[in-house]
Amino acid sequence: MAIQRRDLLKGMTLGAGSLVLSPMLWRMQAQAAGQTVASKRFVFVVESNGVRPEQMAPEGIERKPRRQQPMNGPAETVDVPLIGKKLPFSLEPIQKWIDKVTIVQGLSGRVCGGGHSNNFGALGCFPTAGESQEIRGETIDGALAKMIPGIFPHIGLGISKRLENSVIYNVSAIGPNKGLPTMCRPDQVYSALFGSVADGVAKQEFAAKNNLLDFLKDDVKRVEARLAGPEREQLAAYLETFETLRDRQSRLNEIQHTLRENAPVTNDKYTSAIETDRLDAQFDIGAAALISGLTNVMTISSAAGIRDFDICFTGLGLKKGKHSIGHGGSENGKTWAELYDMIRRYHFDLIAGLIRKLEAVPEGDGTMMDNTVIVYLSDGAEGHHSRCWEWPIVMIGNIGGKLKTGRYIDFPGYGQVDHRTTANFYTTLLQLTGSSRESFGVEDPTLRKFGLDQHGPLQTLFA
Amino acid sequence: MSGRDSLRLCVSSRLRTCALPAHWLFAVAVLSGGLHSAANAQEQTKAQIEAVRAAALQASMEAHRKDVVPFFETHCVRCHGAKKQEGELSLEKLDPDMTTASAARWATLLEQITTREMPPEGEPQPTPGEIQKVVDWIRSEMKRSGKHLATRKEYANGNRVPHELLFGPGANAPFDAAPGLRRLSHDIYDAFSKDVGKNVNGLGNPFSPAGGTTFLDMGSPKIDEPVTTQLISNALSIVRNQTAWREDKGQLKWVGQREFQPLFEKDAEVTDEQLQTAVTAQFLRVLRRKPTDEELARFLKLMRTNEKAAGRETGFRFALAAVFLLPEAVFRSEIGAGPKDVSGRVRLSPRETAFAINYALSDRLPPAWLLDAASKGDLDSEEQIAAAVRRMMEDPKQQTPRIMRFFREYFGYAAAEDVFKESKENQDHKSNVLVSDTDQLVQYILAQDKEVLRELLTTTKSFVNNRLDPQGKKMEPGDKKKAIHKSYGLPDDWKWTADQPVELPKDERAGILTQPAWLVAFSTTTDNHAILRGKWVRERLLGGVVPDIPITVDAQLPDEPEKTLRERMRVTQGEYCWKCHQLMNRVGLPFEQYDHYGRFRTEELGQPVDATGGFEHTLDPKLQGDVTNPVEFVRKMADSEIVEQVFVRHCFRYWLGRNETPGDANSLQTAHNAYRESGGSMKALIVSLLTSESFLYRVPLARPEQAGLLTPK
Repeated sequence: MAIQRRDLLKGMTLGAGSLVLSPMLWRMQAQAAGQTVASKRFVFVVESNGVRPEQMAPEGIERKPRRQQPMNGPAETVDVPLIGKKLPFSLEPIQKWIDKVTIVQGLSGRVCGGGHSNNFGALGCFPTAGESQEIRGETIDGALAKMIPGIFPHIGLGISKRLENSVIYNVSAIGPNKGLPTMCRPDQVYSALFGSVADGVAKQEFAAKNNLLDFLKDDVKRVEARLAGPEREQLAAYLETFETLRDRQSRLNEIQHTLRENAPVTNDKYTSAIETDRLDAQFDIGAAALISGLTNVMTISSAAGIRDFDICFTGLGLKKGKHSIGHGGSENGKTWAELYDMIRRYHFDLIAGLIRKLEAVPEGDGTMMDNTVIVYLSDGAEGHHSRCWEWPIVMIGNIGGKLKTGRYIDFPGYGQVDHRTTANFYTTLLQLTGSSRESFGVEDPTLRKFGLDQHGPLQTLFA
Repeated sequence: MSGRDSLRLCVSSRLRTCALPAHWLFAVAVLSGGLHSAANAQEQTKAQIEAVRAAALQASMEAHRKDVVPFFETHCVRCHGAKKQEGELSLEKLDPDMTTASAARWATLLEQITTREMPPEGEPQPTPGEIQKVVDWIRSEMKRSGKHLATRKEYANGNRVPHELLFGPGANAPFDAAPGLRRLSHDIYDAFSKDVGKNVNGLGNPFSPAGGTTFLDMGSPKIDEPVTTQLISNALSIVRNQTAWREDKGQLKWVGQREFQPLFEKDAEVTDEQLQTAVTAQFLRVLRRKPTDEELARFLKLMRTNEKAAGRETGFRFALAAVFLLPEAVFRSEIGAGPKDVSGRVRLSPRETAFAINYALSDRLPPAWLLDAASKGDLDSEEQIAAAVRRMMEDPKQQTPRIMRFFREYFGYAAAEDVFKESKENQDHKSNVLVSDTDQLVQYILAQDKEVLRELLTTTKSFVNNRLDPQGKKMEPGDKKKAIHKSYGLPDDWKWTADQPVELPKDERAGILTQPAWLVAFSTTTDNHAILRGKWVRERLLGGVVPDIPITVDAQLPDEPEKTLRERMRVTQGEYCWKCHQLMNRVGLPFEQYDHYGRFRTEELGQPVDATGGFEHTLDPKLQGDVTNPVEFVRKMADSEIVEQVFVRHCFRYWLGRNETPGDANSLQTAHNAYRESGGSMKALIVSLLTSESFLYRVPLARPEQAGLLTPK
């Protein structure tokens, strides 16, 4: 296969520490991809504990969970327009944007292995047998961050069941063994992203930080000059980080006005002990960060990952954690299935809020939302004890009309000729950014036995 | 053209190029310091250099033709020659003059040959003598060409170095530990931020382990941008705390560092002396040394520049934060100083030695007495270093958490806390209590310090549901409601006692591998994990190499609740799977004697438990054969000297922070002897490792004038 020039150029930064991109490289990459940097945005919302397939079909379509075995579904793809239909209960908050919604069912992700969480495998399509937190490769958000890096190539926000966790590594990665952080404390995220323009000393701090970075750049260079061999490489890498940060300062300086205009207003929720409060705050900051142009790729993790999946949403009046609910626990007169729906609906309330904010910001001929795709899924695939026979996904947005949306698509059963996997879905997202990659993650060896070609995007999603 | 001809052609073409153009040689002479000589002398030097270099190249090429080419022809060119280039390697085209770009490939080749990866299994194998000749030549040519072979940091898996190259009669590779810089470990940074950043909230730890190594603090991952971002943010938080005023009854009260107060007083002029005092105090706190005059001058300049640009308060704060980000505050230096000795080695500088032995045992900055000893010349001899190491280990005021952490990481039992179990199924399971019990057992055995490994593998003693009360005064049950003792096979009506450790049934338990914590750590939510257990035994006790699971393999056992794990593992016996599973299954299955909570059982699914297993493919021929139960299985390994040596190899890896190479044979053998001669003392083993050649010496680059220290001299 011939390597295309633009992929080659992008490939230049695929190595370890590739977050360290100089602005010059960003621009080169953007040009190579034939687009401006800010033209596409991806937001992943990852909720723990699985998304039940039977709860994701719109009015008038009955969808049962598929059996956990090959040939567990029809040979034909179901492709139904959503317009004019009522979305299922948990998706009602986004009913207003139904023409932009795509509900994708029937994809498998067997290679991940399953369990209470597929951890990094959920967005990475690689084995995480025994609920392992091994990072075997990049995850889709990391891969996209490399394609369309913003001032911050990737921002990971989230909540952990433990209030004291400030930064965790749970679902996102830039490469093998290189997790991307999920920042769990809204107050700290706020300082990290908007601190520079937050109060009166902002200008001073900005100047002092520039001096600090210049001083350290100089100091590290002096020490580097004294060294030779591999120890020198260590210093060179350290030096490069200061150079990158100094460049970022310049870029933040350029958009200072924007930051000041869009910084969220902090409130008690930023430090609340209640999980839903903190998640509210994270969506608040996330929207502001996107609007300020701080990043093009964001992941919002709602207690995803094996360490947090059993979180309890006390803010929704619950005493039972998600683990109990996953095992059939009922509460407040609601069955476990209703509780699943209720918690998911809360997440779609937040997603609706994000859409509203992005729609309010003009961009090009339309709004920011026109260039954004929000992907909702669970690290726990199709259920509490996932086996990844299917993996429901909800996608909102069409990236400037590149996606044909307003549809309910249900792919054929595992092993059927037209069966597809989450890797195909992620390949679709990559191609939206101009990549010519034909695959993502690790192939499912069993599907290979069925003679299925696992390459390529989900063509049907493209307009 | 035959392989031999083409190899020769390659050699002779190299020889021809040694007739260097005259202007090249002039440049060489100038670089060699000939600039100050008179023109005549310069000519002479030039000629001498020319002669010496040409002779060295010629000798090396000659040796290549004599010692290496025949080896390649016999063992390699069939796959890596003109006709076929597996791995895109043609040895006929590989330039033997390593001043060209070929050195990296030669380094890989050296690794492949010394670790016996090549020639592959099934092909005729070269004799140790033949291998040695090739290895010697590669090393000498690397030396001649100024390419340092030790830049290959480490093999991906330490066990890949054949045991006989470390402990066998053929263990005679020259010592070649490379100088290096390592970032601080996760734990060191944790301890540092707790000490220096006391009472500061929200300090994140940016130093996650590299991953993929035997122990967490191994290898030398590079610092990337998110790490530096976090370091800066932490430094600023700490400095804010160091320079804080607090309101007290309407009055502002200084609660920061004493030396910093004059800088933050209102309306007062700040003198250069005050700034210097502040910077010096920060250096002492963070780096445990005073700044040099040159450093002071630069910091003073930063302070003043910042004051102008950002105002006094913010400006000074950011400048004080810079100390936390100096390379010396972020990296551990193992570069070495002083002249090379006769074997081409340099010793770590006394300060480097002090930090190295300190961080081998502790996470905190070195104690004052140790740095004093370094500056007074009391860490110059190996005896003095040994004495310092012993003092570190025996001083009750000195914490040495890294010793205990070695055992946690080596056995991996603490992972029991990460294994999710359904509480409905066994109400009496509590993983953190099990882990704490095993911690105490390790500590108990370390306190005896006799035959430590044997005890760890065979003791019938155990702590059961035991913990120190929160006041630290007396022992109490770890969990008062749960019948934790059931996991240990004690009778249901067993009553907790403070008289611990207690004896467990002798025919049911033997050491750590039969402790519930270890068994749970190697289990899943609903099942034992015989394969992972087998992998652990194969790697950590038997010193074998289990290849990584091929990513094309869908590694799942069939979902058949009516079948035992052993029965379901039949799927691993297919020809393709068995290549790897033959190394794991039979050394993991004896633990089927226990259920996935670590409870001893005699029946499984209504049938008598089958806990048989056995040893195949072991380095120690005495181990070979079947076993019928886990106690017999573990005891057999405890009797093996090779198992003990494999344990020493793991200790080496942990305390040196890298995998062993054939050049470390001397250090490893000395350490094992020290362990044996002391009757299995862990302390003796650690002292030996921390005073070993591998720990204290480095073999620097060919051009030492370029090498320097992290700390200014």
